This record gives sequence, structure tokens and C-alpha cells, in this order.
Amino acid sequence: MPGRFRPLIAVPLLALVLAGCADDAELDTLQPQGPFSRAIDDLLNPVLIVAGIVFVLVLGASFYMAVKYRVRNDAEDEWPEQTHGNTRLEILWTLIPAVILAVIAVFSTATLFFLNDEQANAITVEVGGEPVSWEPEVVVVGQQWWWEYRYYFDGVDLEGVQTAQDLPPADIVTATQMVIPAGQEIELITTSRDVIHSHWIPALNGKRDAVPGRFQPWLIEADDPGVYFGQCTEFCGLSHSRMRMQVIALDEAGFQAWVDAQTAPYAPESEDAQAWLAQQRALTALAEGEELDEEPLPAPSATAVERGIVTFRQACSSCHLVDGVNDDIYTGATVVSGAAPVLTHFASRTTYAGGIFHLYEPDGSMDENTLEAWLRNPPAMKDMYAPTRGMPNLGLTEAQIDDLVAFLADTGTPPSDWAIAESEVE
Amino acid sequence: MADTATVAHAGAHAPAHGNTGMSNNKLAMWVFLGSECLLFGGLISTYLLYRNEFADGPAPGDIFDIPFTSVTSFVLLASSLTMVLALSALQRGDIRNNRLWLLTTALLGSVFIGGQVYEFTSFVKEGLGFTTSPFSSAFFTLTGFHGVHVTLGIIMLMSLFISSLKGNLRKENAETVEIVGLYWHFVDIVWIFIFTVIYLVPSPES
Amino acid sequence: MAISEFPLELESGRPAVAERPLGALTRPRGSQGWTSWLFTVDHKRIGIMYGAAALFFFVIGGIEALLIRTQLVQPDGNLLSGDAYNQVFTMHGVTMIFLGAMPLGAAFANYLIPLQIGARDVAFPRMNALSFWVFLAGGIFINTSWFLGGGADGGWFAYAPNTGLVFSPSHGMDFYAIGLQITGIASLVSAINLIVTVLNMRAPGMTLFRMPVFTWMMLVTQFLLLFAIPVITVALFLLMFDRLYDANFFNVEMGADPLLWQHLFWIFGHPEVYILILPSFGIISEIIPTFSRKPIFGYTFMVFSGIAIGFMGWGVWAHHMFVSGIGPVSVAAFSLSTMFIAVPTGVKILNWLATMWGGRLRFTTAMLFSVGVVSMFTIGGLSGVTHALAPADTQQTDTYYIVAHFHYVIFGGIILGLFGGFYFWWPKVFGHKLSERLGKINFWVMIVGFNLTFGPMHILGLQGMSRRIDTYAQGYGFEFWNLVATIGSYILGVAVLLFLVNVFSSWKRSKHEAPVGPDPWDARSLEWSIPSPTPEHNFDETPVVHGLDEWWHRKYGVDEDGKVVRLAHPEEIAQKGDGTGVHLPSPSYFPLLIGIGLPLIGYGLIFSLWFAVPGALLVLGGIYGWVFEPPDDPDAPHGHEDHHDVEEAPVG
Repeated sequence: MPGRFRPLIAVPLLALVLAGCADDAELDTLQPQGPFSRAIDDLLNPVLIVAGIVFVLVLGASFYMAVKYRVRNDAEDEWPEQTHGNTRLEILWTLIPAVILAVIAVFSTATLFFLNDEQANAITVEVGGEPVSWEPEVVVVGQQWWWEYRYYFDGVDLEGVQTAQDLPPADIVTATQMVIPAGQEIELITTSRDVIHSHWIPALNGKRDAVPGRFQPWLIEADDPGVYFGQCTEFCGLSHSRMRMQVIALDEAGFQAWVDAQTAPYAPESEDAQAWLAQQRALTALAEGEELDEEPLPAPSATAVERGIVTFRQACSSCHLVDGVNDDIYTGATVVSGAAPVLTHFASRTTYAGGIFHLYEPDGSMDENTLEAWLRNPPAMKDMYAPTRGMPNLGLTEAQIDDLVAFLADTGTPPSDWAIAESEVE
Repeated sequence: MADTATVAHAGAHAPAHGNTGMSNNKLAMWVFLGSECLLFGGLISTYLLYRNEFADGPAPGDIFDIPFTSVTSFVLLASSLTMVLALSALQRGDIRNNRLWLLTTALLGSVFIGGQVYEFTSFVKEGLGFTTSPFSSAFFTLTGFHGVHVTLGIIMLMSLFISSLKGNLRKENAETVEIVGLYWHFVDIVWIFIFTVIYLVPSPES
Repeated sequence: MAISEFPLELESGRPAVAERPLGALTRPRGSQGWTSWLFTVDHKRIGIMYGAAALFFFVIGGIEALLIRTQLVQPDGNLLSGDAYNQVFTMHGVTMIFLGAMPLGAAFANYLIPLQIGARDVAFPRMNALSFWVFLAGGIFINTSWFLGGGADGGWFAYAPNTGLVFSPSHGMDFYAIGLQITGIASLVSAINLIVTVLNMRAPGMTLFRMPVFTWMMLVTQFLLLFAIPVITVALFLLMFDRLYDANFFNVEMGADPLLWQHLFWIFGHPEVYILILPSFGIISEIIPTFSRKPIFGYTFMVFSGIAIGFMGWGVWAHHMFVSGIGPVSVAAFSLSTMFIAVPTGVKILNWLATMWGGRLRFTTAMLFSVGVVSMFTIGGLSGVTHALAPADTQQTDTYYIVAHFHYVIFGGIILGLFGGFYFWWPKVFGHKLSERLGKINFWVMIVGFNLTFGPMHILGLQGMSRRIDTYAQGYGFEFWNLVATIGSYILGVAVLLFLVNVFSSWKRSKHEAPVGPDPWDARSLEWSIPSPTPEHNFDETPVVHGLDEWWHRKYGVDEDGKVVRLAHPEEIAQKGDGTGVHLPSPSYFPLLIGIGLPLIGYGLIFSLWFAVPGALLVLGGIYGWVFEPPDDPDAPHGHEDHHDVEEAPVG
């Protein structure tokens, strides 16, 4: 009999053991990498042990009785003592779990308030050459099916902001990968543009729902530089499973370098392209009906990047923004969520499309094939309700796709080999 | 092993009036009304959450005509009194007065419903439709649900009235009237809550 | 046994009106043939139909579960599209909870409550039939969505605004909102009926604290239903108004708050958990004493802990919302209340163990399932405590750890208990036992399959695998345990098949076997004092009850030394099943008519109001006919000398 029962104990116990030592799990909740996730882990571990003991006792008692009191022959006149209960005993075993739970509750509540205890700790960041004192906070905006991260180095004023659509312009807007300074407590302000999502970086803290119409605080902190994986964890529709993200924690210098790079608008190398862009801007700036003084410049076409800039302005402007290229005509999209990822410094990220594709090969070269396939027919690569939500098939020609890839590759400094390697799923 | 309680109990056992001393029908109505409390509780909570969310539409404070609704509310509350009179008439075996008060109760209820129809129409004319704002949706849903309850009550009262005309509602059926009365009083009491929450608590204005 | 009906029913005393309701329809009669099942008001037949229909939906939900597991067997699974997967997991949850587990509980409640309290039927037999038909109609209605544009795709929890028309444009969520309102009517009517039955229809001497624990747990369950159903009804109405009539309850742009749905849903949803589990607790509280040959340990504690769970179940709903943003103070409060609801649950587990302690344990299949519940539910309860820790829950919620937890509760705690109940009461219902040999194989295959399926999900969840994802990428360490879970799910499927095979083969075998006696397990409560299968009229004479475990005390006494001595054999003292002179409620067409009408109204709301016209006519006609139909057909064949309804108090 006990032999037959053995799998019953073995499975759950093995489960707990193995969960603790699986080292290839990028989202593992039991390998904390920051003070908040560690506080949770420290709370959970003893409770798991207590739970394990209770379970073993209950199962052990069942076994013991199964062996000791089992009768095989149905001798009908043999009856054990007819005990109806024992009030003292029952009060005792009402009180014992109550006391154990009360003790656990004290620790749980203490941890809960630690997780919600914001310790403002301003750091100095140089923005455009000016030192700014920044209490690290990032506005996290979920939408179907990717995350946007907005940085306001002067702090974000949410007065009168009802929904994410009303958020003021930010110093840095990026998507899918949030970059933070390591060793710093970062306040996240989560919200959503459409349905409820949940932002979760297991190594750094638990999760927090991103609820449309609400701006909800949450804290994360990474002990050391590294790339920490995340996944949207509130069911948010068709491509919920394909809504992933990463936090890249950098040391102080690395973070400053990232800020410097991100705050600079895109500037094409060639003078032709610069001049053409300047004229296009002037055109947009002019009031309707006024004529441009000069002859319109021909669209630059000497290089693929130049042609890509032109294509981007023409084909992508209604949804995407690259600061310096189409910020003059970009108005935000008409999709339900009201936004598509900002692509300024796109090339500095290692993943795209909700974190499901890697932009770079392990050797550091750009994975152009996947990006081309994506541009060719996005709904085939990721379930989306295109064209109302998600990126539609724009019917781009192969030449346009090649040009766009060249342009996108030019939008920023490629990430370091370290970042590329770390953001790969092993 | 025999105990006296059992014997007493056995004596009291009768199919129509069970262990609680109340008939199955009456007990069922009480139980049902318990459930209804939660239904209106949910709707009232929804309204309370959304009374400030009038978007670009009219605000509650702009649109309510409190004197008018107070009068119709009073009419509805008065119908509880006539309901009591209808029941007591039947319990005395006074069929004629029972019919009179049943009809009066139904009429008073109808006046209330008429007032609600008028109120809804005038709100819609003033730009407060069902789809105008969370406030309007919550308002119409809460008061609408209550209106449907009152209407069902009127149908029950009229059924009693017709059955009385056919000679089927006699002194021994007084409990049927009592049960409909329970429902009717419940609907009235719920209205006291709804009226307080919607109209008496100061409403936000735009 | 006059059984009266809904208040609108006017006792005319003029049978001429009642004989031919609606002019053309004569009253259905007879207790043979398939039509007698359609129009039956017999609580036992209704119970059986509840069980059969629920098992049917349980199998459908199981097939959906196998689709889910097959999709996830390896990374980047593509058996189902993302859209299809979302529909399948939503319908799996909806089907299992609302159409599988809840009606299975209702099946046991319907069949057993009148028998355990010594009543001839429930308080309102026609309303009982109405509950069943409306439930079945609602279940079929929800499932027809598969053929009418796709099933619901917003999760069984249906969080706004993802279920709004913009984000879920198919009709699936309409079917969800309307279908669950229909099944809600069924649950509410059934709850009122059973509450009145238990409170009012107990046999002489059957005081509340002499009722079997099963009846007690069912009573608590019905009260939970009574108060929980209206809350989800409100939520479903709001959703329906938003989707069909452009209301703004969940329109964030207009200032609506999506958390409203969550509060309403979980105020219903958490008591719902106890609605599901308490019937199972009741079932094993009958089985364990029987096969331990001891009375239940601490009857009063068992009853009060059940009541306590019922009350506390209302104060914990927001533990589903620890990461929704309800503020740390609310989180702390709900975290505490959630921890302490573990106390009465723990009391129950310890009392079951104490019942077994020192007993003479007979490991029949029913007992195996019950002990299975005690140990498997303990795992679910303990993992429940780990996410009552609100900080830990922020890591666990919406991961497979939660999926593991609630399947240990729902499958390990509820389904195992219900299967135990099947094996235990099968002879009472059908007159023959299910094969014990096959039953034990059934149990072991199920317990292995169950642990292989859901045990690994603890690991997957702690490794960070999110719920409700239709696919996962390679490299997160999810591969192995997903494979194991999928293999386990197929074993679980085999276990369910084994049960069905057992049902069939035992039925075939029973034709050549002598019928089981009234009391094949040497059990304790009143349903074993009458023949198996239960005669249509239940009790020849209403039993007079003298104490808890009445039937056992009629069979056994205790001598001066405290030794148990047999007073009588069950065959000698069991009732004979002689229904002479018993007056039973008559069958009725109208519950079925109303049941057919309601989903037609549902289709009307979704597609075209023209469908609603016949639906409304059926419902109104059904109500009209019902009101003017006396509960008893005076012309039905039966004796009239039924005044002597209460049996003589037995000696002892």
C-alpha cells in the first residue's frame, strides 16, 4: 500500500525541489535579482517549508491509518470504539493553524508594506548636457500587444491626465525594453491604452496590472547590471502570449550613455537627405495654401538608407515615430490603443514586435531576414486584429522593404555584444 | 431514545406548513427576496461608483426634478399601505374591500410607473440617453430594473384582482395575497434606498 | 402530501379549469417511456438528468482541456490558432465550472436531500424540473456559440474592457453573458427550492442538527448560490448592455472603471469556489464515516466550519485582485481574511482524519476517492495559503502556479469527491454497484494522471510560465514539465473513459445479478432505509427521526460495555417500497416549455428580435399554463387513503 502511495508525495516534493534549481528559466520567480523580489522570496520560502511539513503530516497520517486500520475482511460485527468527537482536541486544532497563520500574517503584512514603501532617492542624470536630479520613475504603458516606456526626467505631471492617451510628451519614449540604472529603486507608473495588461519582471519584483484610466505605482530594483525578462501576465486578447518585455539594467555610466543616445533625434548622414528632410519640415510647417519659395528638392535616393527615410515618411508616419524624421507629421495612430511603438533609436534595441523577435544575431549582425519578413506581412508573424489593432500588411515592395531595413538599421548605435548576448533566451 | 421534542415535532408536522411554521410558498418568497437584496445591492453600488462620471452629458444635479420624483415616490410608498389593507380585508373575509384595495394598490403602482416613464422621456429630451455616459447607463439600469420589478408586481396584483372577480380569491387564500404583498413591500423598501441614493444624497453638477 | 407551488398559483378548487390547461393540453401522465423523463417532476429523475447532462458537459470541457494540453505539449505549438486557443480555454473554464462541476453538485443535491431529510420530494417539484431544463438550455445555448461565429474568448473571468465589443467583436461574449444569465436562473430557482426543502420539509424529529453533514453542506451551498448569483447577474447585465446596447459601464474613455467588473465578478466568484467545494466536502463526510465504521468526528465542528466557510467566503473576494491596484491597505485586509479562511478548512481535514483514526477502514472505491480528496485538497489548500501571502501572490498570480492550485482544489477536492459520490450512491440510484475492481483501477489511473497533469504546473508557475498563453518560446525551461503535464492529461482522459466504461459494463452485468439490497455499504443515513433503486415515492411512510445517523442507530445499538451490537439487519427493517396510497406530484409540460423558450430569447437578443418572439411566447405560455395548473392532477391514478403518512415510531 505505501508503495502505491509514493508517487503522491514524490511529485509535489520533487516539484518544489526542481523549481528551486532550474537555472535555465529566464522568468524564474525563485531566483531574485533585486531587493523586492528577494523580500518576496524570503517570505515565501519558510511558508513553503511549513506547508510541506503540514502536507507530509497529513499524508503521513493518511498512510499510517491506511496501513494500520485497514480491514480486508468485511466482518460485520467488529466495530471500533464509537467516538463522536473531542471538543478540546478540536479547539486545539482550530487554534494551532490559526496561530501559525497569525505568525505568517505578521511577516506577510510587513513584506507587503516594504513592497509599497517608496524610498525617493534622486540620482543625477545629464540630459542634453544639463545635469538633472531625477527620482527614477518610468511610465509603463501597456497596449495590445507591446509595452511602451516613457521617461520624464523632470518628473511627470499627471494632473488632469485621465487616460494614457493624455500623457504629456516625454524625454525618452521606447518600447519593449526598459533601460534602468542598476542598484537604484525605480518607480513604475503603470497604465494601459486599451485593455488590462500586467507588467511582470519576475527577477525584480512581482507584477502590477496596467489598467486603462488608472496610473498605478509599482517598484523595481536590480542589484546588478543585467537583462531581466518579463511577460504580460493579464490576459489581454489575441496575442497575449506574444507580449513580452525586458528590463536592461546598466551601470551609471552605461545608463548615462544610453540617455545621451536616446535623447538625440535621428540625423541622416548625407547632406541631401538632411536638406530634403528640412524642406519637408518647412512644408509641413507652412500654413495650408502657401507656396514654397524654392523648387521642391528631389527625394534623396543615393543610398538605401536615404530611400528608406523617404519610404518611412510616406508609409509609416501614420503610426510610427522616428524623432528627427517624421515628428512633424506624426499625429498618433487611429488604432484602438492610439499608438504604435516609437522607433526612435530602434536599432539600439535587441528585440521588437512585442519582444518576440531578436533584432540581432548572436554574432552581433542584424537579423535582416526576420525583419524583412515582418515588414512583408506582420499579421502572418504575430496574431493581430490588423488593420484595426496591430500592424497591418502594408503591401510594401521588396525594394521598399530593403530600404526600410537599411534605414531602421541606421536609427541608432547597435547595442553592445553583452546586451545582445544577455537578451537571448538561452 | 425517544425524546419529547420529537413527538411534539411530529405533531406539528404538516405538509403546507413545514418545520419553520411557515408555508413553503411564503418561505420561498422570503428566500427569494434575500437574493433580490444582492441584485439591487450590486446595481446601487454601480450607480454610486458612476454618479460622478457623466462625461460630456448632463450631470445628475443638472437634471433631476426632485419635487416630481418625491411625489411619485410618495405614491409608491402609499401603495404599501393599501396593500396592507387589501390583505387585512381578505383575512377578515371582506372580498369587496380586498378587491378595492388590490385595485388601488395596482393603480398607485401604475402612477409610479407612469411617473418613471415621464421622467425617462424628459431626460432623453434633455440629452441624457442610456448611452450618454457611465452615469446615465447606471441610472437607467438601476431605476429601470426597479421599474420592471414594480411592473411585475402590478401584473401579480391584477392577476389576484381578476382571480378574485372569478371568485377564486377567498379567505383561505389570504396567504397568496400576503406573499404578493411581501414582494410589493420589498419593492417599495428598495425604492426608499434607491430614492435616497439617487435623489436625496446631493448630486454632482456639471 | 400536498405540495404547493409558486405564490401566483391560485388554488381555485375548481378542477374543471385545471384538467385541460391551455385548453388543448391534457396533463402528462405515466412514469414510463422517454416522454415521462421530459415532463417529470420527480427529484430523483431530475437528479439523474442533472448528473447525465453535467457529465456530458464535463466530457466536452475535458476535450477542450486536452486541446489546451496538446497545444502546449511543446514550444511554439500551433495546433490551434491564438484565436481558437483563447476560445478553447475560455470555454473550458466556463464549461467545467458552470456546466460541469456546479450541476454535478446539483445532481447530488436533488437526488439526496429529500432522501436524507425523509421527504417525499423537494418543496417545489415543478420548479425543480424548471431548474434542470433551464440549466440544460443555457448549457446548450452557450455551446452553440461554436457554430455561430465562435465561442467566448475573454476568459471565464471575462475582465472588462477586453470583453467589450471593440476587443471581442465575435458573438462569443454575448453567448457568455446571456448563457450564464440563463444558467443563473436555474441555479437561483434551485437554491430557493432546496433551501425551502431543507428548512421546511424535514421528517418529524429531523432537527437541523440531526441532518447529515452532506445535507448541511448543501444547505450552505444553496445559501451561497442564493446570494452570489444575483451579483454575477448584475455584472452580466452590465456586460450585455455594454455589448448589445452601447451602454458605458466599462467604457474607459467615458470615465468608467474596469475594476467594477472585477469586484462584481469576484464577489460572486469567490463564494462560487465554496459553492463548488462544499458539496464534495459533504459527500466525503458521508463516505468516510461509513467506511471507517465510526460516526463523523466532531459533527458540530464539521457543520459550523462549513457555515464559517460560507460566511468567510464573502470576505475574501479581493484576493483575486492583489495586483489589480486596490491599494496596499485593502490588499493587507483581504490577505488576512484569506489566510484565516484556511482555519475552518483545516478543521475539516483534521476531523476527517480523526474520523478514520482507530476505525475499521474498508478501502472501497468510494473511500479511496474520499481519502484522495483529503490529501489532494490539502495540497490545494496549502498552495492557497502561499498566495494568501499578498506579496508572494504578486509573483504567483496569473501563472501556472495558480492553475495548479485551483486544479488541486477543483479536481483534487471537488471532482474526486464527486466521483467518490458516484461510486457510493450508484447502487441507491440504479440498483447495482459499479464494479469495484474497475473502480479501483479508475481511481489509481485518475490520481496518477491528475498529479502528473497538475503537479508540474506548480513548477511551471514558479518558473514564470504565465496563464492563458497559447504558446511559449523555447528556452524558458518550460519544455519538460509541459510535456509531462500533457502526458498526465491524457492519462486523466483515460481515467474518465474508464469510469464511463465502468458505468456501461456494470449496467450490462447487473442484468444477470441479484439486485443489491437497500443498504449495500452498511451506511448511516435515511436514504439507505429504502429499497434500491429508490422507489418513485421515496418513503412508504415518512420516517420519524430520533438522532443523528438515524438509520445506523436502527441497525445497531451500544451495550453496557460500550460495544456495538446489531439490533436488526437492514433487509428486515428497511421500507418495502410499497407505494400504495402515496399521492405524488404530477408531471408537467411547462418547465420544459420555459426551458426551450429562454435560449430562443437569447438568440433573439444576439441576432434578430424575431427569434425572441417564439421564445417569449413559449415562456409566457409556460408561465400562464403553470399558474393555472394545480401541482397535483386530481385524476392521476393513485390511492386517496394517504392520511396516515407518518410511520410508527420504531422501538429502540
